Amino acid sequence: MLLIAVLIPIAGSALIFSLGRKGRRIRRWIAITSTVATSVFVCLALLTEPGRSYVLLEFTPRMTIAFQLDGMGTVFAGLIAFLWPLAMVYAFEYMEHEPSENAFFGQYLLSYAMTLVIASSQNLFTLYFFFESLTLATVFLVAHGFSRRSVYAARKYLYYSLGAASLGFLSMISVLVYSDTTAFVYGGIPALQQAPHTMMLLLFVLGFFGFGVKAAVFPLHGWLPTASVAPTPVTSLLHAVAVVNAGVFSVARLAYYVYGPTLISGTWAQTLCLSMAAFTILFASARAVHEQHLKRRLAFSTISNLSYMLFGLMLLTPLGLKAGLLHMIFHSLVKITLFSCAGAIMVQTGRQYVQELRGLGRQMPIVMTVFAFCAVELVGIPPFIIFQSKWALVTAGFQSGHIVGILGVVVLLISAGFTAAYLLKPAVTAFALPLERRAGEKRDPGWQMRTLFFVMVAAMLSLVLLGKPIADYLTHMVGL
Amino acid sequence: MQSTLFVLVPAIPLVLGVWFLFTRRFRPLAAGAGLSLCFAAVIALTLTGDGRMTLFAIAPGVTFLFQSDGAGRLFALLFSGVFLVAGIYALTYFKHEKNPERFFAFYFFSLFALLSLCMAGSLLTMYLCFETLTLCSFPMVLYDRTKEAVAGGIKYLLYSIAGAMMGLFGVIYLTLHTVSPAFVAGGSLEAGLVQSPSPLFLIALFICMIGFGTKAGMFPMHGWLPMAHPIAPTPASAVLSGVIVNAGVLCIFRVLYFAVGPEAVRGTWVQTTLLSLSLLTVLIGSAQALRQKHIKRRLAYSTVSQISYILFGLFLLNSTSAQGALLHTVFHSLMKTSLFLCAGALIVYGGTANVDEMRGVGKQMPATMISFAIAGVGLVGIPPLSGFLSKWVLSQGAVQSAIPVFSWLGPAVLLVSALLTAGYIAPVVLPAFFPGEEGNALSARRAPDGMLIPLSVLAGLSLLFGLYSVPLRNAVAAVIQMLW
Repeated sequence: MLLIAVLIPIAGSALIFSLGRKGRRIRRWIAITSTVATSVFVCLALLTEPGRSYVLLEFTPRMTIAFQLDGMGTVFAGLIAFLWPLAMVYAFEYMEHEPSENAFFGQYLLSYAMTLVIASSQNLFTLYFFFESLTLATVFLVAHGFSRRSVYAARKYLYYSLGAASLGFLSMISVLVYSDTTAFVYGGIPALQQAPHTMMLLLFVLGFFGFGVKAAVFPLHGWLPTASVAPTPVTSLLHAVAVVNAGVFSVARLAYYVYGPTLISGTWAQTLCLSMAAFTILFASARAVHEQHLKRRLAFSTISNLSYMLFGLMLLTPLGLKAGLLHMIFHSLVKITLFSCAGAIMVQTGRQYVQELRGLGRQMPIVMTVFAFCAVELVGIPPFIIFQSKWALVTAGFQSGHIVGILGVVVLLISAGFTAAYLLKPAVTAFALPLERRAGEKRDPGWQMRTLFFVMVAAMLSLVLLGKPIADYLTHMVGL
Repeated sequence: MQSTLFVLVPAIPLVLGVWFLFTRRFRPLAAGAGLSLCFAAVIALTLTGDGRMTLFAIAPGVTFLFQSDGAGRLFALLFSGVFLVAGIYALTYFKHEKNPERFFAFYFFSLFALLSLCMAGSLLTMYLCFETLTLCSFPMVLYDRTKEAVAGGIKYLLYSIAGAMMGLFGVIYLTLHTVSPAFVAGGSLEAGLVQSPSPLFLIALFICMIGFGTKAGMFPMHGWLPMAHPIAPTPASAVLSGVIVNAGVLCIFRVLYFAVGPEAVRGTWVQTTLLSLSLLTVLIGSAQALRQKHIKRRLAYSTVSQISYILFGLFLLNSTSAQGALLHTVFHSLMKTSLFLCAGALIVYGGTANVDEMRGVGKQMPATMISFAIAGVGLVGIPPLSGFLSKWVLSQGAVQSAIPVFSWLGPAVLLVSALLTAGYIAPVVLPAFFPGEEGNALSARRAPDGMLIPLSVLAGLSLLFGLYSVPLRNAVAAVIQMLW
């Protein structure tokens, strides 16, 4: 099942590329059917064969490409399987305003496959392999349109990702030196626990930054705001959910399934990573307040929220892992919606800057209501979902007993204040101030974009009460 | 019966708010009837006695529950009562304004959040209601949709959210370290922390107090209040200054007396710092009020100062001062709302907001100015008006507390501030009645009865409580007695 799920989007993407520039209708049919089919198969795989592992390729007995959907993979795979079809439908409407649709949809499908493989990789080698492939699959999406700015953004993305991934490579390959296998084991690979301690910590830190580049941890965050020149479906799905969460996901794998919490916990390595995450939270949310370009502002907000997750993970307690993953799920829902709002505003009215939002509440009531709702969500006002994950994060921080953990709680709350400043403020001006000139009729987008908005808002609202099963699943997974 | 009321009390204003948000035509009768219904429901809740109800749980340990106890009922009665009177005033006030239904939508939402806050039975529920209150009440500030209004509204929003986040820090810490998740009279902090408060506990508590103090306009988080309150339409300023600031008071009261317990805080640096901050705010507020020419800004600064009287009483942590604090909450609420309603009448029918231009207006608008004088003199605290009583109890509590320095500094500051209060009230009242030789400055008209009756009812109540306050004092004493 899992293999079918991975192969469908690859085949679909190949079909789209071979079709060339003609046949928009057929292309769309291929794109949407293969996306939906993939998601269906992912769900089937999640339900019918959890924990079953496949070996696809065996380079050497120690280096294999192998898949398995365990607890954490299920979470990530389920999340993207839910979001991808919605984003695809959104992209149909959005991409009417952009050139070379075939290249776009081809690569969009391809990156679905890559993300799925990352979610379901069974060992570090596979993870690393497809971590790099995901970079390559998405780099041309950033460069889409090949204007000077987007090519610059794509180059920056490429240099950052590949450059830092070399650190990850070092970490990965050294694991092979000390251990016969790189297969994930919850609690850490046993062989590594006996290896030289300082060496292990050093390698972990290398890996943290190497894989953390996709999670935009400071000082490797620069590519993400620049990459927001890409078409909105790319920024909303890839650079707010799939790619960046792949970074968080990989760090979680590294910390909990490769090196193991017992090895890192209480060492300078943990302190360093925690402090880095805490600093990124503060830094990025403060930058977001100053940023005037809406999508770049959202990108900085993403950076800060990704570090919330890293912060939770690096507490190295089961509660921390649970909180980090919970925030990964909930933040994805909110951020993809926010980016989609920004994209809808861009294509419908051409406005890109925060000041230009004033009065837009009249002109685009649906989009701006959704935007305001998401702003309230992201600040973390109870009982909405982000509050639940933030609550999990701060209780984990308090209970870890780590001094940076407690400081991090303070940082989290300060950053929530910044979030109010950079999101609620534009939302309020959009509704409260009148339009600068009579702009006339309503400009809400068509049904394809609305589908995403309605589904996401419904999901966020229903998760307020139905979020408990997810939290329970995670609690079970982390073994509490 | 009671669980029905737990749902009904917040549901009535919520439903009405939603209805007004989406309706195109404004129906004054529905608004008035709705407010009366809310008041009636609160009275019914008061009659049913103590109780508790779990609302919902979003995660293990994250439970929301309502409870009805003496303190909550006292505040709920006060809030819904003042909202009713100010709402009736608003019906007349908004007759000539555009889109009154939009104002009333958020007016009802604010009442919904306030009543939920009164019934909140745990720290988390309280925090939830506190955030809801901010989101529900700031659109009232935006009503005029001018640049200044939006700036004031956003300032209110950001200050409040920042404050709420600081409050949340303490709420999380205390939730993890209290024995009972629900409020318990006298607090339920872990025994170990009561005996030897850890530094983290004290820091968390301090940040929490500053955070909730934001809503109550306590220094250093008071900056939004004099910006946001005056810019709102008058009925909104009245309830913001007279009622909604008390939400901060209620939260601080709950945290100190129902979650932490006075014993754990007494004698720590947290108490000393908070006492100093509240006294400082008392002085800053009165001194700033003196300098303001715009009548609503003057009253807003007066709120900053007066609310800190209440906070000072709460931070003293003894039963007399806490009684004084609750009494002052009630009296200040009545007087300040009345003063703002008078100010609104003066601005609309007197034609000026500048306090220097109100010479002789007492002849043209006698009922308004007499009410203003009664409420204003009460605020100064001259016997037999109600403000005197509460300040007297507060000072008594300060002396009884026997905390070094503060036991005499507190009453001294209250006295100085009373003089300052006289300094900013008298220049409005005296020339209004005694214009002197220069004669009238304004051609004012009499305000309509729809406005006069509410504002004089409130002023009359504050007078009445000064003369006969036995039932109220018994009620307050009963609330406080539970805590020791």
